[in-house]
Amino acid sequence: MKYKIGIDVGGTFTDFFLVADNGDSIIHKTLSTPEDSSEGFITGLKEIAEKLNLPEAEFIDNIDTIVHGTTVATNALLTHGGAKTALITTKGFRDALEMRRGIREERYDNHYKNVVPLVPRYLRYTIDERIDAEGNILSDVNFAELDAIIIKLKEEEVEAVAFCFMNSYLNSENEKAATEYLRKALPNTFISPSYEVLPSVRFYERVSTTVVNAYIGVVVDSYLKSLLGKLEKLNFNGKLMIMQSNGGVVTPEIACKTPAVAVLSGPAAAPIAGAYYANLLGYDNCITMDMGGTSFDASLVVNKQCVTSTEADIDRYRVALPTLDIITIGAGGGSIGWVDEGGLLQMGPKSAGSLPGPISYDRGGENPACTDADLILGYLDPDFFAGGKYQLNKEKTIEVTEKVLGKPLGLTAEEAAAGMYRVINMNMAQGVRQVSVERGYDPREFLMICAGGAGSIHAGEICRELEIPMFIVPSVAPIFCAAGMLLGDLKHDYVRSYMSKLSGLNKDEFLKLYDEMKAEAVKTLIAEGITEDKIEYVPSLDLRYIGQYHEVPLEVSMEDIYGFELETIKDAFHNEHNRQFGYELKEEGTELELINIRFRAIGITEKPHSLSGNIVKGVDTLEEALKGRRMAYIPEQDKMQEVPVYDGDILKSNFKISGPAIIEQINTTVFLGESYNCETGIGGAFIVYNKKLMPEGIKEFKVSSSELEKQGIEK
Amino acid sequence: MKIDKILLSIFQRAFKSITDEMSISLTKTTRSPILCEAKDFVTGLYDAEGNMLEQTENLPILSFSLGPVCKVILDQYGEDIHEGDVIIHNDVFSMGNQNNDVAIFKPIFCEGNLIGWSAAKGHQADIGGAVQGGYNPNATEVWQEALRIPAVKLYEKGKFREDVWNLIFANIRLTMVQEDIKAQIGACSLGERRLNALVSKYGIDCYQAHKLELFNSTETMMRAEIASVPNGTYEGSSMVYYDGKHPGSQFEIKAIITVNDEDIIFDFSETSPETNGFVNGTYTSSCSAITLTFLQMVNPNIPHNQGMIRPLTYIVPEGTILNASYPKATTFGNHLCPQVADSIFKALGPAMPGKVTAGWNHLLCSLFTGDHPRTGEKYVDICFMGLKGGSGALEGDDGYDHIGMIDASGGLLDQDYEMYEQQTPHLILKHEYLTNSGGVGKWRGGLGIETIIKMGGDDATMVVFGDGDVEQNYGLFGGKGSVLNSIALTYPDGKEHIPMSKDIVEGIPSGTVYRQIAGGGGGYGKPKDRDRDAVKWDLRNEVITEEQAKEEYKL
Repeated sequence: MKYKIGIDVGGTFTDFFLVADNGDSIIHKTLSTPEDSSEGFITGLKEIAEKLNLPEAEFIDNIDTIVHGTTVATNALLTHGGAKTALITTKGFRDALEMRRGIREERYDNHYKNVVPLVPRYLRYTIDERIDAEGNILSDVNFAELDAIIIKLKEEEVEAVAFCFMNSYLNSENEKAATEYLRKALPNTFISPSYEVLPSVRFYERVSTTVVNAYIGVVVDSYLKSLLGKLEKLNFNGKLMIMQSNGGVVTPEIACKTPAVAVLSGPAAAPIAGAYYANLLGYDNCITMDMGGTSFDASLVVNKQCVTSTEADIDRYRVALPTLDIITIGAGGGSIGWVDEGGLLQMGPKSAGSLPGPISYDRGGENPACTDADLILGYLDPDFFAGGKYQLNKEKTIEVTEKVLGKPLGLTAEEAAAGMYRVINMNMAQGVRQVSVERGYDPREFLMICAGGAGSIHAGEICRELEIPMFIVPSVAPIFCAAGMLLGDLKHDYVRSYMSKLSGLNKDEFLKLYDEMKAEAVKTLIAEGITEDKIEYVPSLDLRYIGQYHEVPLEVSMEDIYGFELETIKDAFHNEHNRQFGYELKEEGTELELINIRFRAIGITEKPHSLSGNIVKGVDTLEEALKGRRMAYIPEQDKMQEVPVYDGDILKSNFKISGPAIIEQINTTVFLGESYNCETGIGGAFIVYNKKLMPEGIKEFKVSSSELEKQGIEK
Repeated sequence: MKIDKILLSIFQRAFKSITDEMSISLTKTTRSPILCEAKDFVTGLYDAEGNMLEQTENLPILSFSLGPVCKVILDQYGEDIHEGDVIIHNDVFSMGNQNNDVAIFKPIFCEGNLIGWSAAKGHQADIGGAVQGGYNPNATEVWQEALRIPAVKLYEKGKFREDVWNLIFANIRLTMVQEDIKAQIGACSLGERRLNALVSKYGIDCYQAHKLELFNSTETMMRAEIASVPNGTYEGSSMVYYDGKHPGSQFEIKAIITVNDEDIIFDFSETSPETNGFVNGTYTSSCSAITLTFLQMVNPNIPHNQGMIRPLTYIVPEGTILNASYPKATTFGNHLCPQVADSIFKALGPAMPGKVTAGWNHLLCSLFTGDHPRTGEKYVDICFMGLKGGSGALEGDDGYDHIGMIDASGGLLDQDYEMYEQQTPHLILKHEYLTNSGGVGKWRGGLGIETIIKMGGDDATMVVFGDGDVEQNYGLFGGKGSVLNSIALTYPDGKEHIPMSKDIVEGIPSGTVYRQIAGGGGGYGKPKDRDRDAVKWDLRNEVITEEQAKEEYKL
């Protein structure tokens, strides 16, 4: 038996999802080890071997692939635990990194501070050299100055160096010369030039991304080496792949070269998994939501593709590499409820964390958290939290919630909990709105895929707020990202700036750039063990109407690129602009302007045959799965009512449950409000749909991508 | 109707998400860099009586500038307001704040009743008048600055009024402005749809009751803030230098602030009379300046709705430099905000020593126009990157570096250097923090900026407007002010030209070197009390020199 394993390291738990080649699967969770997350990684593998009753060596020997989502890069950024990094840039531009174009996000808060730059000013060196706006060299690199800088870099014991020269995206000669010189002089230092990381226009974006890359480079490198070392000791001889922020995977060797691609390594797997589960049911479009302990992630899948963006900010540090467009807001099981100065109830973004945690954990927490509200409202069973692994203290939760929130609001504990529930649902709905409506998509035309242990308690209300007719809770909901990791293909993104009116495009130059990117892609993928017939290419162009400032990325086909089908491309742009912004300027004959050309190369990996959880045992009638009844809050009526509770772990497919009801599983609870019906689907998934919006049941929800496109254009 | 406390939170969040969404739509669809890059616009929602429900202000100077216009529109049209109407307005003599800031209003109906308004106001790249871009230092009357647009319908009951549209845009130079106004109408339609959906869901009565309660709860928060300020009357003043006409002219902005339990009165009656130049404020922009300054001293989380400004009383008499009478020129008015802020901070310093900041850098700014030889087209560019100095320090924190004038408070972004070099013929030689530019103090002022640009393209024109080149900004409680603002041109033949602070320079040849200093913010507290490690850190990072470390900080 061969195994594939997805491993997602989170703040509290490390999640594992194992699929055997006969389709059997195992969900496993173990505590994370933040000091060195590779320890939890290895511990979990050993625990799974036990679960399978296999000797460790035999189990390890049978793993053919591990896909790993790591938070090492993110944490290095968030905790300022990266390398001691220097920046070398063109004379006159020492401070662009720290200035961040002069923004202060909070306009009225004079105590609000700028972010601490990843490279302090004393390590930002400037050098005589200059390329102009047409790519001409105005002055060559002054190597005498570079020599002087090298002495200082040695004195300061700098571990990483970033290069970013003005206009190097047009002509990288100077930057390259300086980089090669420095690589010779400091062979053991991590050196990252901007032309290797992000050769596209916009100095601030480029310098920031390159510095992030250099800053986390050493950390990612040493983590992966240590992990590989540990795996080697266990005689692991399968493949290790690393999840990237763009939703693809990459070999550790390449991740070490451009570690910035792994900045959002963990959450990027959620939309990938979302696309898969939506597709299983025959849908091309979905929204994924993942509600964890402290945060809520939402992302979009359109036409089976995860939506990407090149404007990611991680803790206010800009990373302009293609990144799955995931909105994260501070809403999770640990989010704390509080009353503001005007007497309004607010939820989060502060979280109770795992220590002391919510009141109900009985570990000294004194702040009512979302989990506490879910307990008071009857959604959670105090005796069956995580399958009964932890006992929740309901009495104390009610008492403290009443004191902290009930009193100031003039409400009972139950009413306050209902308020917390409604407010946090509103906050999460706003997150979903951001990722959909604000990108020009109507959430009502999407299916929601819901992940995270508590997500399915809240999904119904989020969907009702946004009029989303249906949501799905897959069996892998509690370890959703780990499952998604097994679905990642190898993905590499390339970009070149090419600024020209579209009509004035020079075909030869244009195609030469594509040839160049393609050659690079093929070389990389072959080195990663992919054969040429398993490579797919997705070219795209960043275009705008002449005079506009913001460009719109437009995916095009290889045929259109190599056939130089400019008219087809223009039409597609008009449509896309219309979809996003509600108008187009085709009739006016407004010229299009090209800014960047992009190229994504995908190396198709081998996927598991099935990603559904195992059903331990099944029951034949719904009644057999009925565990009991308890009082729960019905949001549609704003009151408590007795509802049936079903054991979700033993339900086979094709059962129908009408809300209000609770379906309990060891790691997930699904709450069906009065508005919902639920059908159990393939592989233990729960398909929940709105009775009013879909009176005929789930068959009704069949919005295909082509229909969606049509509607978008008509709008 | 019974108030549902939870629904109150939900309404507040929904209003905010609507104005945010309108704002994102405008950023993405407008063309003028002043709108899509610098984000010089505001979006808002108002109730049927013109009270503000919420706003998203990218630049604080525009915040609270839509409400007064909404009331003007309600008075003007009375019953003649219908679904599908779109109203345009910029007139500074009917509550507009600046000629270039053109507002679009759209009434919102639900079940046949007027339930509110969505509105968007943005700084247009051109608004007619004698000079492209609207900043005309030679203007003495409004017509030399702009086309006046009192409230007029662009759409009536959904029908486009092409005649009105053509009349307006026949008087505006750039066609881009038409596109940007369309984008504003689009944003308002979005707001209309969303508010309508929200009110339909909960019902009109529920919305009305909760909206009023929301104003009340916000007012409560604001009153609690004011109650924490000791009662009394406080005075502060600051100076405006040069009106663009009379070299050496000076004007005083004087704030007399009375705190009476939970109310606060901002009285500017003793401010200097209006000028004959364009350095005059309008009532709306002066009130915005007052509000935004006071908001920097209170809890930043108070929702921005009508309840917030209820406890504030503004006295800004017509005929003063802060509220010019018809038909004076007023384009510079927004830029009197730094002086208004100074006078308020100085006045309230003794009463709220932990809340006021030392002096912020005042705006001094240039706008280039000319031909771009590489594209063969004309360019217009306000040199945003060069104009942004530092903010004043306050108790507990240094000022913010390179944030820009207080009217923007960090909302105005620099151009990207590489895009700038694509879109203009200029070459940037330097754009860095200016060493020793933070006013010294226990808490150091934010750093200023030095910008050096080698200009390309022959025969460029530069319009200069601003201040801060005469008097150093102030430090507080032993802190000191920062360096002065300055702009200088060095022509290819080596001759130097220093323009006035309100000036037009024409015929600038290619190869001319432009050098601008935007000063830092003032310091707070005695420099010798500054944390020694902080002084050493500044020294190590070369934001102060060894000399300043020794002489001022006594290191």
